[in-house]
Amino acid sequence: MRSRRVLLQTAGLAALLTAMPARAGVPEPYAPIVLQPTLGPQRWEFDLTAALRRARSEKKRLYLYLGADNCPFCRRYEAFLQRHAAELAPHFAKDYLVVDLRSTLAARAEKLFIRIDDQVLGYADFQRSIGDERARQLVYPNVWLLDGQARPLMQMPSGAGTFETVAEQLEILRLEQ
Amino acid sequence: MTSDLTPRRRTLQGLAALAALPAATSWAAIGGLPSAEHRDSSPEWERLSGKLFGGKPLIHGQGVVQLFVPLRAAYGASVPVKVVSKLPQRPELHVRKMYVVVDKNPSQLAMVLDLTTEVGQADFETRLRVDEYSHVRVVSELSNGELHTDSRYVKTSGGCSAPPNRESLHLIGRTLLKVAGELRLEQPVQADVTVLHPNDTGFELNQVTVMYIPPHFVRSIAVSYAGRKVFDADLDFSVSENPTLRFNFVPHSKGELRAEVTDSKDARFFGTLAVG
Repeated sequence: MRSRRVLLQTAGLAALLTAMPARAGVPEPYAPIVLQPTLGPQRWEFDLTAALRRARSEKKRLYLYLGADNCPFCRRYEAFLQRHAAELAPHFAKDYLVVDLRSTLAARAEKLFIRIDDQVLGYADFQRSIGDERARQLVYPNVWLLDGQARPLMQMPSGAGTFETVAEQLEILRLEQ
Repeated sequence: MTSDLTPRRRTLQGLAALAALPAATSWAAIGGLPSAEHRDSSPEWERLSGKLFGGKPLIHGQGVVQLFVPLRAAYGASVPVKVVSKLPQRPELHVRKMYVVVDKNPSQLAMVLDLTTEVGQADFETRLRVDEYSHVRVVSELSNGELHTDSRYVKTSGGCSAPPNRESLHLIGRTLLKVAGELRLEQPVQADVTVLHPNDTGFELNQVTVMYIPPHFVRSIAVSYAGRKVFDADLDFSVSENPTLRFNFVPHSKGELRAEVTDSKDARFFGTLAVG
C-alpha cells in the first residue's frame, strides 16, 4: 500500500513536471517585467524601485509574481496562464503591470530580500511592513497585488492554487474578497 | 495498516506527505475546485444540520448573526473567522449556543459555544483550519429556541496538511488571557484567550519517524469572571494551532478572569488574569 502511494505521488509529480511550459516564468502575452535577483552570498535580492515608478507613472497596479525555476506548482500556474492568455492577458493589461521575480526554491524566506529605493527588507520584514499575513512562511509561487506605493490591495493567499481557473483569476484581478 | 483508509483520508494524507516533502520551501496544494455562492447548502451540511437540529427551521440572513471570513485567506491552516451578533445578551433574549461548522473538513463541527448573558455581546473571533474549498457556517441558537444562520464560502488549498509549528512544545497548555478593549464596568469588554497547543489533527507526517502524528488538540475552554460562567467552548482540531478566542465579558466589579482548558489527552491547564 505504501509503495502504491509513493508510486501515485511520484506519478502526480511527474504529471506536474510534464505540464511545465518549456521555460520558467510568466508567459510573454502578459508582457511581464522580468526581474532577476541581485545575488550575494546566500542572498537573492529583487529591486522593485523601477517597476513601482513605472506603475505610478502609468497609473497601474503591480501584479507581482514570485516564481521559482524548480517549483512544479509555479510551472502549473504559468501553464494555466499560457493556456488562457487570450482570455486573461487583456484583463491583466487593463489595470496591472505584471512583474515576474525569477527565484529558486533555495531562496528561502531568510535569504530573499526586497529592495525599494534605499530600503532593503528580508521577506518576513517586507511582509510585516506591508501588513501581509504571509510573513510566517514563504510559499512558492507567491503573488502580491500592490499599488504604486507598494501598498497591498488585498490579502493574497499562499500559492496560486485557488486561482487557477479563468473565473477565479478574474476574481483576483477584481480584488474580490 | 492503510488498507481501510477512506479515499478522503488518503487524499488528506497525500497532501500531508506533499507538505512534508523535505524541500526547503513549502508548496501550495492544488485548489481550483468548483465555486459556490456564500448562501448555498452542501450535502455535508444537509446531513450535519439534520443531526444537530433535527429538522428545526434555520433562519438564513444577517439580521441576527453575521459571519466574516475572507474568500481567500493567507493560509488555509489559519483562516480568520469573526462572528458578530446583532442583539445584545439580555436575559429576555440572548444567544444561548453558537455552532461553527466547516462543511468539508474531516471533522465538520469546529466549535460549539455555550453562552451566558455575562458575555454582554456574543461576538467571537478565532482562526480555523479549512481543508479545501468549503462553506464556513455559524448557527446561533437563541434563548427562545430560534436558530439563525449565516455562511461564507472560502477557498483554500491544503490547510489541514500545513505543517504545524513545533517550536514551543515545552510550553504546551500555557493559557494566556488579555483584555483587548477598554475596561468599563457593566459594559462588554473585549478579551482574548490563547492556549499554546499544536492542536494536532492526526494528518501530519512526522518527517523523522515517517509516522503520522496522533491527534492531540484542545477539547474545551471554560471562561469565567469573578466566579461566574461567561462561556464554555467545545473545540475540535479544525481550530488552528494555538487556539485563540476573542470574546466579550461584562465586569460588574474587580475580579479574576479565568480560563480552564482540557485537551484530548485529558490534560488540564488554566490561566488567570486580574481585572480592574
